[in-house]
Amino acid sequence: MAHDWQPDFEQLVDEHQTMVFSLAMRMTGDRGLAEEIAQDVFMELDRHLGKIESHEHALFWLRRVAMSRSADALRRRRVRGMDLWVEIEENHGAPGEERNSPLATRLEQLLATLPEAQRAALVLRYQEDLTPDEIAATLDAPLATVKSHLQRGLKLLRAKATSRLKEFVRTKEQPSGA
Amino acid sequence: MDEFERELRQAFERRPAPPGLKRRLMEQRNRGRTQRLHRRVVWGERLAASVVLAGVLGGALVWRHAKEVRKGQAAREQVLTALRITSHALHDMNARLAARNSASQE
Repeated sequence: MAHDWQPDFEQLVDEHQTMVFSLAMRMTGDRGLAEEIAQDVFMELDRHLGKIESHEHALFWLRRVAMSRSADALRRRRVRGMDLWVEIEENHGAPGEERNSPLATRLEQLLATLPEAQRAALVLRYQEDLTPDEIAATLDAPLATVKSHLQRGLKLLRAKATSRLKEFVRTKEQPSGA
Repeated sequence: MDEFERELRQAFERRPAPPGLKRRLMEQRNRGRTQRLHRRVVWGERLAASVVLAGVLGGALVWRHAKEVRKGQAAREQVLTALRITSHALHDMNARLAARNSASQE
């Protein structure tokens, strides 16, 4: 079927670099690695540009490949025996993150402690605002599994936030302070 | 969606990509294209060289075969000429013997 949409690599990079980098960053917790993943994803997009049929297809393809490449990177790191999440404390001091509130930063740190599958589902749900069906399609996983990961991940994250972010909860409840 | 999920949505806003990511991507893409182009040129040259080499070898084989055919034909001609000369000499000899026999009988 003929389609009028012509992919423009530069425009796709402009529009989606933030999304691809954010997914990789939240999945790996490592800015440098996330940047490498983003570069790999876009280079692969360049090689597959002829097969991309629409803007929506490009967006879906980029999310899918970004998640898959991030999972590969995490697997390689595990094989090498490195603890990714040790780095996240240092990486949160990286430039461009000053705009994040302390609560947001702590929530991201807590997200990093979740199992990978739950983290992937939560990132796609709350960063990309995807429905469980769309998450299932992106991760190529059964819908029931995705729903389970979302529920368990959210429950675990809520429990961790309740026990570890009490100071923020108190601050929110008493904005004037003690 | 409860308050916690709203907090999550705010916390998980997309982060800005590192400055220069796009520039590095475009440079890497251009480098890749140049390398691909270079590889194509090299493979084209190799292909052309192979075609020329195959042509030269094929031509040499054809030339050698034609030369051997020509040599065979020349040898065949020489044998036939020798046979013709021999046949002619034998014919002369027979004629002389026949003439001598008839003279001796008379």
